[in-house]
This record gives sequence, structure tokens and C-alpha cells, in this order.
Amino acid sequence: MSVLELKNISKRYGAIQALDNVSLAIQPGEVVGLMGDNGAGKSTLVKVIAGNFAPTSGDIFISDQKMVFHKPRDAQKAGIEVVYQDLAICNNMSAASNVFLGREPTRKIGPLRIVDYAFMRSRSAELFARLKSETRPRDLVHKMSGGQRQAVAIARTLLSDAKIVLMDEPTAAISVRQVAEVLSLIRQLSDHGIAVVLISHRMPDVFEVADKVVVLRRGELVADKMASDSSPEEVTGLITGAIEKA
Amino acid sequence: MQKKDIGLGILIIVVGAIVYMRNPLFLSPINLGNTANLIGLFGLFAIGQGFVIMTGGIDLSVGSVIALLGVLFVDMVGKFGVPWPIAVAITVGLGVLIGLAHGILITRFKLQPFVVTLCGLLIYRGIARGYTAESTAGFPFGSSYPQLEWLTIGRSFGVPHSFLAMLIVAAIMWVVLHHTVFGRHLCAVGKNEEAARFSGINTRFVTITAYVICAVLASIAAIYFAMFTKSVQPSSHGNFYELYAIAAAVLGGCSLRGGEGSVIGIVLGAVLLQELQNLVNLLGIPSSLNFAVMGTVILLGVLADQQFATYRNRKNTERALGLLQKQ
Repeated sequence: MSVLELKNISKRYGAIQALDNVSLAIQPGEVVGLMGDNGAGKSTLVKVIAGNFAPTSGDIFISDQKMVFHKPRDAQKAGIEVVYQDLAICNNMSAASNVFLGREPTRKIGPLRIVDYAFMRSRSAELFARLKSETRPRDLVHKMSGGQRQAVAIARTLLSDAKIVLMDEPTAAISVRQVAEVLSLIRQLSDHGIAVVLISHRMPDVFEVADKVVVLRRGELVADKMASDSSPEEVTGLITGAIEKA
Repeated sequence: MQKKDIGLGILIIVVGAIVYMRNPLFLSPINLGNTANLIGLFGLFAIGQGFVIMTGGIDLSVGSVIALLGVLFVDMVGKFGVPWPIAVAITVGLGVLIGLAHGILITRFKLQPFVVTLCGLLIYRGIARGYTAESTAGFPFGSSYPQLEWLTIGRSFGVPHSFLAMLIVAAIMWVVLHHTVFGRHLCAVGKNEEAARFSGINTRFVTITAYVICAVLASIAAIYFAMFTKSVQPSSHGNFYELYAIAAAVLGGCSLRGGEGSVIGIVLGAVLLQELQNLVNLLGIPSSLNFAVMGTVILLGVLADQQFATYRNRKNTERALGLLQKQ
């Protein structure tokens, strides 16, 4: 049973064919490296999966059930979470506050609804422990390293029992040591049975962590194969068009 | 309580001690009572301004709102004989409408807060002056409203009720800011609106609510000011009050970039501003220098705060490095 299946997804903007008959199946716990040059349709594909906009044609299945997403919230309810590169974190708040941002737990004191800080801290400490991250719930995010920020963003996805996590360039603009940290976070997610779609330009990162590589070129899916059967050289060829299809 | 609040509290005590040494009248019950009254009046709307500043916006219309609603309130009660509870409800209702208008123009029509509220400043002042034809609005000779007066300008045990009203509002807003979901969302929207939106927060609602809170507190302050002055001169009543509010909020640790602030800080900011006004009077400084003194002290305070923060950061770094070397 695949957790996410795309059947013949096409997306057209006027005369431009951003996605052309893309079909793809992802298994639970699978890490998929989604690669392609700028303008190849990676972002469009991610936005279709995340419910930012509907495909022109084609169907999306989550756990073999057909889904139609009208807005990002619908996709979120179906178990799809997106980790945006740097967008979804508020620097002025603590790690725990960020994990629960938009879903703050409350408890009642008389007629009042009060934010339950104690629960937020203990629950996010649990999540960080599950991710084997050293992030402390009380710390302010603006004092954290890039890797710890990613841990905060990823902990958000665990909170909602996500089935699929889409990660947009999580290893751009962070140091080598932090990249290792983020890759281990991805492995943690995968160990918990969560499928990860990793969008990245960085070939070594993808090959270190991905089970499967998927290459898009001009909106067409030109490769969908196990990472162990492929190589960085082949993928580079597929991205640039030196190799037609694999 | 945050570190910044403590620093501000110390500054208030130091300035107070200096003034007391030069003129012991500073701590006389009469002076304290009068100053507390002014702190209450200015603190009321400074808290609202702080909420708007925390969203990364600004509300320049506060002074004009106080003038317009003050004129209308005095006329409703004094001229048209509207029972005062109804007049209060209408005034606060108008505050809600003004806040909604600001919030909707800023979020739906994507206008800049500065522009929207600057136009508000001009429009409300203009309406107040046009409506009264530049004449002072006042209560009829010999009229009295015992309950209304008790609520607004009355005192209990020497403490002015305006000050108590401000404390009650501050307590409520403290809970709202630091312990409700709305308060969390306010800080998130102010710092990183995009992140807040991606997290599923209704950012428009949060921003509009902040402007409504600001205008409602300004409308309550308008009633207190009108009862305090007993007559409202439409062209000068409330002039520059928005700047007092902004100064109090910024002194109290609200960042004009949004996302940061504390209610205790704003109240302390309002206290410091009135203390400075009082200082000018008590020390015999010509009152024409009033604004210059206020500006200088705020500037020095902010400068000292920044220098102190840099110093603290350096000490922390040194300590951390020291620990590393020991290992």
C-alpha cells in the first residue's frame, strides 16, 4: 500500500506545461529525493501535493483513497506537512511556542482559556527526544543553529501525526555539521514510518539519505528509481538532459 | 517580568530619588495623586498602542480619536441629555468601528498602517472641529453626574479612579498578551506574518483585533479625558497624544519592528513619561522645555539600554569561552 500516489498529474499555466503526466508512488517510511533544475516543476509538484493549488488534470491518492485538496489545510488534515526552508518559524518565540504555533493547547481556569505552557514544554521536549535533537523547549529560536531550527520545524510535523513530510531545500544555507544533523532528523522521521520528500540541489545529501531518486525535467518525470541503482553522475545527466530517461 | 522592565523600574526610581532630593514635594500625597491620575489617563491608551506596535504597525490617530469621541461624549451627555451609560456604550462602540475601519483598510486593502492612521488623525480632528464649528464643547453650567464622576474622576483612599481603571485594563491585557492563544498569535504575526499564516493562524483577524483594542482603549481614555478636563477644545484636545503613547510603548520595550513587548513595560513607560513632566514642573525648569527634557531622557534611556545589552552579551561570550578553555 502506498501512502501517496500521484496518477497522471498535469498542471498548465496558460501555454506553459509546468507538469506533464507525472505519476509517482511513495511507500510509508520511504525517503524520496526530488531533483531537477530550476523551473523543472519541483516546486509546482510540491505545491500540488500540499494543496496550494489544484492540478489541471490527474488524481492524488492518500493511502489508496482519492483526495481533492482545495486549500493547504485540507492536505494538512490528510497527513501532509510541509517544512518550509526558513519561513515557518518565529524568531522571537521559544522552541516550544514555535512547535505549537497555530495549535496552542489551552486549559480552562473558570471562564478563561489559558495557554498551557507546561504541556507545550513537556510535549515538545518529548518530540525533540524522539528526534534525538538537543534542542531545549525554552530556548529562543533566534539563538539557535540552523540544524536546531530544522528540528523545531520538523517537530511541528510530528505533532500532527503526519504521514508525509515535504521538505523544501532543508540543507541549503547551513553548515556541514548542521547538514549531518538535518539528515539524521530525516532518518528519524523515516524510522517512525513517515515518508519524506526531500527537495534539494545538493547531490551528496540526497544520496546519503534517500531510498529513491525522482528526477523532473521540463515538467516530465524522467527517472524514478532506487538510489542504490543510480549514481550522482547519472542523476546529473538526467537533470541536464544529457541522459534522456532512466 | 522581563529584564527590560526591571531596568525601566530602576530608572523610574533613580529619577524619582533625584527629583525628591531637589524638591521633597515630589512625594507629597497631592502630587502623587495628581501624577497617578495622569499616568492612568495616558497609560490607558498607551497599552492599546503597544498592541498595535506589537503587530509591527502604528496608530497615529489616537489623539484625534480622543478629541472627536471626547467632543461627542460631552455633547451627548451635556447637550442632548443621553443617559451616561448609553453615551459610554455609544462612544466605545464608535471606538470599535474606528478600529475595524483601520484594521480592514490595513489587512484587506493592504494599505500601510502609517498612512491609514495618519489619514485618520487628520479626518477625526477635522470632523471634531467641523462638528463643533471650533467652539469648545462643555457640560451645562451647574450640571452634575455623580455616578459618572465617581467612576472617572473620583478617588478611593486618595487613589484616582483613572489610575485604578488603567491598572484593571493592564491586568486584563497582561493575561491576554502573555496567557491566551490570541497573545501568542499576536507576537507571531508581528515578527513573521508569513510564518504565522503558514501555521494556520488567521493573521487578518489578529491584526484587525489589535487595531480594535487600540481604538477601544482610546475611546475609554477619551471619556476619562473629557471628564477630567470637563470641556473639550476641539483643535487642541489630545494633540500629540499618539506620540506619548508610542513613546511609552517603545520605552516599555515594544519593538517598532513588531513581535516584542510587555504590558508591564508599557505601564512603566507611561509612568516614566509622567514623572518627567512632573520633574519639569517641580524643578522649576521652564515648561516650554518640557518636550526637550522628555526627548533627551528617552534618548539617553534607550542608548543606555542598548549599551548595557552589548556589554552583557560580551560578558556572556567571555564566560562561555572561559568555560571552553577550562575543558
